[in-house]
Amino acid sequence: MTDLAEELRRLHERFNAAAESAGDEEALEEARVAYLGRNGEVTVLRRTIGTLSPQERPGAGKAINDAVSTMEARLAELRARFETRAFDEELAASIDVTFPGTPSGMGSIHPVRRILADACTFFTRHGFAVVVGPEAEPDYYNFDALNIPSEHPAREGFDSFWLTETMLLRPHTSPMQIRTMQRHKPPVAIVAPGKCFRRDAVDARHLFQFHQVEGLLVAEDIHFGHLKGMLTGLCRELFGPNQSVRFRPSYFPFTEPSAEVDTTCPKCAGRTASCNMCGGSGWIELGGSGMVHPSVLREVGYDPERYSGWAFGFGVERLGLARYEVDDIRRFVSSEPDFLRQLS
Amino acid sequence: MLVPISWLREYVALPNETDAIAHRLAMLGFPVAAIERRPRISGVVSGRIESVDKHPNADRLLVARVEVAREQPLTIATAATNVAAGQRIAVATIGAKLPQLAIEARTMRGVASQGMMISADELALPSDWFEDGIMQLDAAVEPGLDVVELFGLETDVLDVEVTANRPDAMSILGLARELAASYGAGLRLPPLQNPGILEEPPDEQTSISIESPDCYRFVAQRFDGVAVGPAPAWMRVRLALAGQRPINNLVDVSNYVMLETGQPLHFYDAAKVANRRLVVRSARDGERIVTLDGVERNLGPQALVIADDRQPLGLAGLMGGATSEVTAMTTAILLESANFNGPRVRRMSAALGLRSEASSRHEKSLAPALTDLGAARAAALLDDLGAKAYRPHVAGAPLTAAQPIALRASNVERLLGLAIPAERIADHLRALGCRVDANAEGTLSVTPPPWRRDLTIAADLVEEVARIEGYDRIPAVVPSVPAHEISSAAFDLENALAARLAGLGYHEIVTHSLRATGDAASVEVRNPISEEHRFLRDSLAPGLIEHFAGAQTPARAFEIGQIFRRSDEHIVEQTALGFGFSAVRGDEPPWRDSAFLRLKGDCEALLRAVTGRVPEIVPGESSGFHPGKTGIVTIDDTTLGIIGCFDPRLTKARNLAANAYLCLLDVGAIPPYATPQYRAPSRFPSTYRDLALVVATSVHARAIERAVSDVLGGLCTGVAVFDEYRGAQVGDGRKSLAVRITMQRFDTTITDEEADEAIARVLDAMRERFGATIRA
Repeated sequence: MTDLAEELRRLHERFNAAAESAGDEEALEEARVAYLGRNGEVTVLRRTIGTLSPQERPGAGKAINDAVSTMEARLAELRARFETRAFDEELAASIDVTFPGTPSGMGSIHPVRRILADACTFFTRHGFAVVVGPEAEPDYYNFDALNIPSEHPAREGFDSFWLTETMLLRPHTSPMQIRTMQRHKPPVAIVAPGKCFRRDAVDARHLFQFHQVEGLLVAEDIHFGHLKGMLTGLCRELFGPNQSVRFRPSYFPFTEPSAEVDTTCPKCAGRTASCNMCGGSGWIELGGSGMVHPSVLREVGYDPERYSGWAFGFGVERLGLARYEVDDIRRFVSSEPDFLRQLS
Repeated sequence: MLVPISWLREYVALPNETDAIAHRLAMLGFPVAAIERRPRISGVVSGRIESVDKHPNADRLLVARVEVAREQPLTIATAATNVAAGQRIAVATIGAKLPQLAIEARTMRGVASQGMMISADELALPSDWFEDGIMQLDAAVEPGLDVVELFGLETDVLDVEVTANRPDAMSILGLARELAASYGAGLRLPPLQNPGILEEPPDEQTSISIESPDCYRFVAQRFDGVAVGPAPAWMRVRLALAGQRPINNLVDVSNYVMLETGQPLHFYDAAKVANRRLVVRSARDGERIVTLDGVERNLGPQALVIADDRQPLGLAGLMGGATSEVTAMTTAILLESANFNGPRVRRMSAALGLRSEASSRHEKSLAPALTDLGAARAAALLDDLGAKAYRPHVAGAPLTAAQPIALRASNVERLLGLAIPAERIADHLRALGCRVDANAEGTLSVTPPPWRRDLTIAADLVEEVARIEGYDRIPAVVPSVPAHEISSAAFDLENALAARLAGLGYHEIVTHSLRATGDAASVEVRNPISEEHRFLRDSLAPGLIEHFAGAQTPARAFEIGQIFRRSDEHIVEQTALGFGFSAVRGDEPPWRDSAFLRLKGDCEALLRAVTGRVPEIVPGESSGFHPGKTGIVTIDDTTLGIIGCFDPRLTKARNLAANAYLCLLDVGAIPPYATPQYRAPSRFPSTYRDLALVVATSVHARAIERAVSDVLGGLCTGVAVFDEYRGAQVGDGRKSLAVRITMQRFDTTITDEEADEAIARVLDAMRERFGATIRA
């Protein structure tokens, strides 16, 4: 008994010395293994209990258990100290958070797609589908089916690029009205974004290649007020909640009544007489709209007595000029890295 | 067209503010593109020169006594030379405000001058459109009248845009009528009764012969006793304000009537029309005419001419000819007020490359009824000038009233979403000149006025009602859209591709679809806007490479757009996706290109995201691409496109110093997303072995991977080639591929022995199929 107690005391002292001298968690673990591990000194000592008399055994066992508890507590304490020290070191570190960030190589969506996507999202939220179609179209879809027969003076407004006797690059997205209505029975509710072409001289306000977004809703009991409702909603979606929308009578052969659509100048809201966005009028032009002409409905086999509907077509780059306050519409086809970066 | 507001006010009472009038016109469908603000002028009165004397002290000055309806005539010194006693002139009195100066009493070489006689220039009129020196007023003008008021000089001028369906509104009267209807004001018409009652002697009868179906109506009227000279000042001022240069009294009358009523007119010198006979016919081959602009033109059968028995005298609806032009000698004229087929006039105008104020109206198909009105108005004005008017001759179809259109109030509400009582609808339409009768059932029978050819169906009338009611009055309502089955898949796919590529670090660009170069299969534009844009692109590659070249630093970009090519006589159009980057070649052996692998990784990530499947890239070739660094992108053996390094010779040719790596896909070939089935992973641990296989350089990594899968079947849960080495240690023509093979069982833990046995089978197969050896 005394031998074992003495042995245990000395062993405990050696343990204390080893634990105290451990410089880090790893050394501490070595000490644990050396004393408390599977072949550690304490474990070895515990195996000698069997050699003791039955009377001595409980006392020896208790003494060893107590010593183990004390050692483990000591180890935990020292481990905690190391952990605290490690955290203290880590927390003592300090960096300059204003140092430039490392770019992660993010790409960007072209502003034209962003506008189209935003516009289309507004309409899909209201139950419209988004359809796309070809850019090279026969004159039938571009004109004849839209109540613009050859020799119609309105064709002059569409100065087009011709590819063959009958094929041209679409000067508007309106062919998608015809394609959609020929493929689907009413009701139809679509928006049709896409690229269009007109032989316009290029300047800060004109491109010969531009995008339009077309809208068409034909069903029973659809009226002009619905057109106003949706386009007002669209402008508020694109430009903000205080946006006003104005409808002015106009003329398009495929709508009757027809309207030009203006919205409050997002730059000056009509407050600046010298505004270079709206020319001081306080309004910017978005495009044409109107109730689908009965001849167009009849052309696609719809009964104009039963169904009515509206359509509109807006220039997307024009919307972009106003939305991003871009100075020159040509930037939308220039793909200048700086332009893309700023508007991404 | 330029519209002086003072001219409008002659027919309709209008508010004072120019902006209010412009806004009202815009809201009626006639937007005002610009407003010319005229300067304010005051203190200018009409005067009559009583006498003109030499200045006592100056050779170059005259002293006039001018009656201005005050107690004493004014004494005015002037340097002008075109003054004489009896003339009516405009005088700026003391205190007058002119655009350039204010008039004060002053002494000119010892003579106290009490004002200034003024020229057109001083009234802010184009001076080269008026006589040099002092502006001459008409003999009938009483002295002492306010000249600004008399001539409507204090006016703003609106530049009004008129849509192609409203040639009737390309006139002062037409716009006045619109404003009158909108304001609910009365319309004061000018005299429109033709004063021509004289009968021509039987042997001097004017005759008209219409020999073309493209002339619908022709009014001809003879006037004698004509003296060519300046038009009255009020008319010249009015024309000038409307942007029309005054020429002489006859030309001015025809222009004035055209601007006022919208009906173009033409005057022939009656003495130069053979047999007083006017024939409307197609030109004959080889016929020529010298038009009023002095150009000799060759005519073909597409031209419609007005001729006498000898030769063409003018181009119908377009321009008169020189041979019968009114000159200073003219004493008798023939007036033409005619109606032609609009498209015919437009075709002729386009073929001859000639446009005129007249053709811009005729080509929009004027109403035949305007012919009589235009002739009557001109006759009244010529009568004022002292001409003797004969009875007009008319040829062509008789004027018939338009067919009545049935319109129900419910129709209006159905299309507008605004209930307007039938009586109010009728009022609006009547204000525009329609005849409206209501039947017992409440249906309106609406007969459009003779000058409106654009009103033919009920929807046309609904627009008229809405215009007068005001579009602003229609309430905005969000519709509830009925269910339908139209798919947005194509657009959604494009957006998903774009979003994913942006996430992968690519910037979307939009480039020109029309390009300078093409080949035999390219689609060519028949009427290109310039040589730079003659061909439709058949690939997105050139646009991307130009973008890389312009970006200076290495750039990553993508574009989604249509490409075109010709197949037989058809135009084949495809939605294409191109993405890629420019990269300067790094320090790598020739058999390795990490830039390609980066692009391939992006291609796999992109297609995995939108199709649910990883594409297979198989070796291939494509024109424009590097022959040794090009792959075909496939899914399930369907070709989606090309991936590779662009031919460095072509990139260099486009001023790109770096290499370009491009993936070009056919968006239409991308299969829809395949919903995958989930398989729970094994509960048992896996093990792996890394092999270094030495094979011929021609053996593809993917072939090795496939062979391993084949041999191991379900035991193999992953195989990937992760490194390649070539060099002295493996010998010429050989390469070492490092392969990691992961194995796992679903029923129990795989043992080392089992794994080793499997690898042994793999090695046998590798030896057999590829002549592979294990690298020492």
